[in-house]
Amino acid sequence: MDKKVIVLILDDEPIVGKRLKPAVERMGCEVEVFEDPREALQRIDEKTFDIVVTDIRMDEIDGIEVLERVKKKSPRTKVIMITGYAMMALAREAMEKGAYDFIAKPFTPEELRKAIAKAAEALGTPLQNSVTQ
Amino acid sequence: MTIIAISSDSYRMGREIGEKISKRLGYRYLDREILKEISAGSGISEGKLLKALEKTPSALGMSARDQAVYLAHIEKKVIGEFLKDNVVCHGLAAHLYVLGVSHVLKVRVLSNPEVLGKELAPGKDLSGDAMEKLIGRNENARKRWSLKAFSLDETDPSNYDMVISLNKIEINEAVKSIAEAVGYKKFKAMSYSLKCLKDEETAAEARTILFPRFPDAQVRANGPTVVVITKGMKREKQKKALIIKEMVGKIPGVNFVEVHIVNDILRQAAESLR
Repeated sequence: MDKKVIVLILDDEPIVGKRLKPAVERMGCEVEVFEDPREALQRIDEKTFDIVVTDIRMDEIDGIEVLERVKKKSPRTKVIMITGYAMMALAREAMEKGAYDFIAKPFTPEELRKAIAKAAEALGTPLQNSVTQ
Repeated sequence: MTIIAISSDSYRMGREIGEKISKRLGYRYLDREILKEISAGSGISEGKLLKALEKTPSALGMSARDQAVYLAHIEKKVIGEFLKDNVVCHGLAAHLYVLGVSHVLKVRVLSNPEVLGKELAPGKDLSGDAMEKLIGRNENARKRWSLKAFSLDETDPSNYDMVISLNKIEINEAVKSIAEAVGYKKFKAMSYSLKCLKDEETAAEARTILFPRFPDAQVRANGPTVVVITKGMKREKQKKALIIKEMVGKIPGVNFVEVHIVNDILRQAAESLR
């Protein structure tokens, strides 16, 4: 059996994780959802994820810090940033710091699935149930 | 996918640099040659399209409405080309209408004053003072043009990612610097920047449809939603909104058109004085 792509989703709005988890699981990924960035970072320290999807604007710890911590621990992990405050400067900062993709909210689960499929392919583990289901 | 948009005070110099970068990186090169295609598709003559890129509207020349329509057609086509692949673009004012798109590297090339002076006054042997004045007038004219056409100052360095003066460095060094900068991670295309570009294309298409009838319309697109703001009198608001919704709603991919009609205070005042 092929190795599953392991995804961590971090967003302080509970509805985001709740909506995205089943959509990403249907792609054949193993998904862990967090609302608290501190708990997410603790988990990232314990386990290596293939893909991390993180909101940018969160209380206490922002997504850019999460990105830096992830890349420091595991440079191969693809980090997808999501934000409701998308601006060119922020998008460029995230890419410069190693983000794989940057998506503006609101987005559809389909849009995230496409970004995850692309990231999985770049990791050399293309997903069977990528975007059409 | 990366795009390089070059703006220069000298068309010839901008073209030379654009062609060299495109050759070096293997990118497609786009310049005013594309006006032929835009002309064929829109029915607007190539001369008029070129004039819209160069001249400021005036009472005796091109009207502001015509310029807005012509530029909207150019914008729509150029952004459509940007969505296809890696492109180097020069001479089509792209730096002004994709300003907020992060994977477009916007470069301003300032040519050597002597070369520019000769280009602006071919065959004339101008003194240093006269040449300086001529260059200053040309810069002011471009500033007026860009402010009128896009409410942006083309000569303002803060509108660019990179400004290169050919008075200080050689053309080949400039080409090398631009080609290197394009490799920076921050200029990589991402879902958000591609969406911004697609939204700009949709907005430009809406402008090509609306401007002939509503030249003061301000148009923004966000995915399948298009927002239009225009002026109107109280009694015509509803009718105007319906017409705009019908016109813009025909664009493929658009499923919601939001129209805001703000009071046309000047017309209202004029009518009340009758």
